Formats: sequence, C-alpha cells, structure tokens
Amino acid sequence: MSYSEQELACLKPDHVIDAIGEVCPHTLNLALNGLKKAKSGEIVVEVTDHTIATKTIPAAVKMNKYAEFLGIVRQDGNYHIFLKKI
Amino acid sequence: MAYTWDIFVMAAVFGFLYGFLLQKADFCFVASIRDLISVRDTRILNGVLVLIAAALLGWGIALAAGAAEVSQIWTVPLGGANLLGGILFGIGMTLSGGCGSGTLYRCGMGYVQFWIVLICAIAGNLLFAFLYDPWVRDYFLQPLTLDGDGYTLFSLPLSPLVIPVLIVAVMLIAAVRRHGAKAIMNGFREALTDWKRNPLKQAHWDIRLVAALLGIIASIQFVMMSNVSITGPETRIGGVLLALIFGEGIVYNNTYLNGLFADFPRIGIGPEETLVMFMVVGAFCSAVMSGSFKLRLPRAARLPYAVGGGLLMGVASRLAPGCNIANLIAGVGGLSMSSVIVIVGMIIGIFIVTAYIFRMPLLLFSRED
Repeated sequence: MSYSEQELACLKPDHVIDAIGEVCPHTLNLALNGLKKAKSGEIVVEVTDHTIATKTIPAAVKMNKYAEFLGIVRQDGNYHIFLKKI
Repeated sequence: MAYTWDIFVMAAVFGFLYGFLLQKADFCFVASIRDLISVRDTRILNGVLVLIAAALLGWGIALAAGAAEVSQIWTVPLGGANLLGGILFGIGMTLSGGCGSGTLYRCGMGYVQFWIVLICAIAGNLLFAFLYDPWVRDYFLQPLTLDGDGYTLFSLPLSPLVIPVLIVAVMLIAAVRRHGAKAIMNGFREALTDWKRNPLKQAHWDIRLVAALLGIIASIQFVMMSNVSITGPETRIGGVLLALIFGEGIVYNNTYLNGLFADFPRIGIGPEETLVMFMVVGAFCSAVMSGSFKLRLPRAARLPYAVGGGLLMGVASRLAPGCNIANLIAGVGGLSMSSVIVIVGMIIGIFIVTAYIFRMPLLLFSRED
C-alpha cells in the first residue's frame, strides 16, 4: 500500500540513508545496502536529490521483493524515499 | 556551404524537443541495461526498445515514401573499432553516470557533475583529434577496418519497409509471448493515459510514449535536416572553443578537426551544434516547469568518475564513432551494421563496470525468484 505525504511524515524511520550529491547507480546501491542491514519490518528512508532515484529505487525493490515501497516525501528540493524491509 | 537562418531555427526546435522529452522520461541508456542486469528492472529498457522500433519504422517509411534516400543513412566504416569504441564508451558512460544524451539533459536539470562530464567528454573528443594523425588512423583504425564505406541493410533489393516491419513484428510477438496480449494492450493504454492535471508540470511522462515521440521526431529530422547526433557536434563545439583561444590555425592544421569543418564556410557553430545546445535548454525548461530543476553539487568522491568517465566517453565516441543516441536512432534505425556492433560493445562496457567496478547485484543471472 502507498501512504500519503502526511502519513509518511508521521512514520519514524529506523534507518536514514544520506544520498544527497549521489547519482545513479550509487543512489540505488546505497538503498540496497541499507535494506540489507535492516531487519524485516523496519523502515528505511533514503534522502536524495537525484530525481531518477524516485523511479529506479521503487521499481527495483518492487521487482525483487526486497522491500515494500511506501511513498516519497519532497522536502527542500530533496526526495525522501520510504521503504519497508520485507 | 553557407547555412540559412531557418535551418538554425529548425535545429533549435528539434534540440529543444529532444531535451524536453529526454528530461520528462529520465531517458538513460546506461540505466536501461544496468537496471536490467542488476535488478531485473526493464522499465527503461522497454523505452529503448520502443525507441528502436519507432526509429526503424520511421526510417523505413521515409525511404519507402521517397522522402529520403539510402545515401542519407548514417553509415561509418565497419570493423573492430566499432566494438572497441562501443566497449570503451560503455565503460565511460557507466563510470560517469550518464550516456551522451543523459549527460546533456542532466546539465539542464542543474547537475554540476554532468557539466564536468560534458567538459571532460569534449576534452576527450579533442584529445582523440590530436592523436588521430598519424597514430590512431595509421596504426589502429586502418588495420581494424573491414569495410571502409560501412553497410546498411536498407541497401538490399527489398522494399525499405520489409526489414523494419519484420523486426518490429518479432519484437511484438516476443512481448506478447512473454507478457500476454492483454498486458501489452494495457501497456499501450497506460503509456497514452498517464497524465495528471497539467502535463507540462508533471515530473515524469511514460517512458514508452516519450520513446515513440523521440523516434518520430528523429525520423522527421532525418527527412528535413540530418541524422541525429550528439558527440560529432560536441567535437565541433570543442574545435570552435580551441579556435577562439588559440586561433583558427590549430583547427585547420589538425587533420581530424579540419575534416569535421569541411562543409562549413568557416569555423563556427552550425545547425547540429545548435541542436545539441538547445537540448540543454529544452531539458532546463522541462525541469523548471515540473519543479525538478535544482543546482546539485556532486560528492567529491565521485569527481574522479566524472572526469575519467567523461574523458573516456569523449575518446571512445570518436573511435566507435558516435554515442548511444546516434547509434541507437540513426544507426540502428538506419539498419547500419556498424552501429549494431557499437551498441553490443556499449552493453559489454556497461556490464563490465556494473559487475566488476560498482559490484552491483547481478539478479538477471541469478536463479532465485
């Protein structure tokens, strides 16, 4: 299920990945590495200014059932990509 | 030949449209292959396949209708340089993070990293020009060349529509067998109806629709103006800058650069260079409209990749020759055999960096489901 921006803002992330200044494929690699470290059910948030990551990360985790994609919050020109480890 | 102002306007319009559309779909050839082999994501690859299909049909229709001739197709010498240039370009664009077109549209989005990549790619173009005569030409290109004129399957004594229609039919049959006819129809519907309130303010357009539009626009450009290309014009822009700094003699005395300006009345910016510059403008406008423009500073740790990848892309694009856009659209669309080899080389290059330098997962080759 996907959440609204308000619902996502209320979630407390278990892991925050700073990917500002990174481009592909490092944005995706950082998300995958973050998910590896997380436990099932934990929320991983990647903060990025790379627009394409908002497409590639959700597509990659959905495709491979790594995590549930919860949604994206846009804040100060950055994207906060919310993922829940399966 | 002297160019008239109307061809510059036409080039600016084409460039603007390419840049606008590439940004709207975040169309990146590196990602199309890398995401497939790494995480089995075929979203961008589907766009590339639609682009190939649209270009093939566009070129076929243009030739069949008599709007263009086989002699106008972009063919280059066929040989080992196509494969080696393709591999090196694939490595360079994966290291730097963006292909020939991806670099340009991201420049328009405010990525400082890709301005560095672009500057280094032009430096790589010029480096090749100064190594060309005699080293690269006599000791590398000549021994590796199999056919100096290049070859296009459109030269075969068939209707120009036969091969494109056959290839696109095979693509469609394969897609239907893999996904089912219903899913393909749904895909068509999604591609055409993925709109929110204002399309111009929408950050992302469906990549398949954008790919089809790019193929149509490139076909119109083929008929009205020229084959779409990026790195050749970028090399000429580099030549113009050199002439401004060091005087025109540096360009005229260089065999390679002199050849690039052979059709020009003088050293300067021509229509194709205008097209490339307006790709950045189109991407900038698209990004501003959707709120995607931001001055983005790269991490210092990534700068060696931007510099090294850019330089390698610049050298390799002259060796192959051409970047992903010229070889995918004008090359494969024109059934030019050298471009097929270049694209295979690029895929090998992308795989090398993905697997052995970035050490990403390679799920395409894993048996887990």
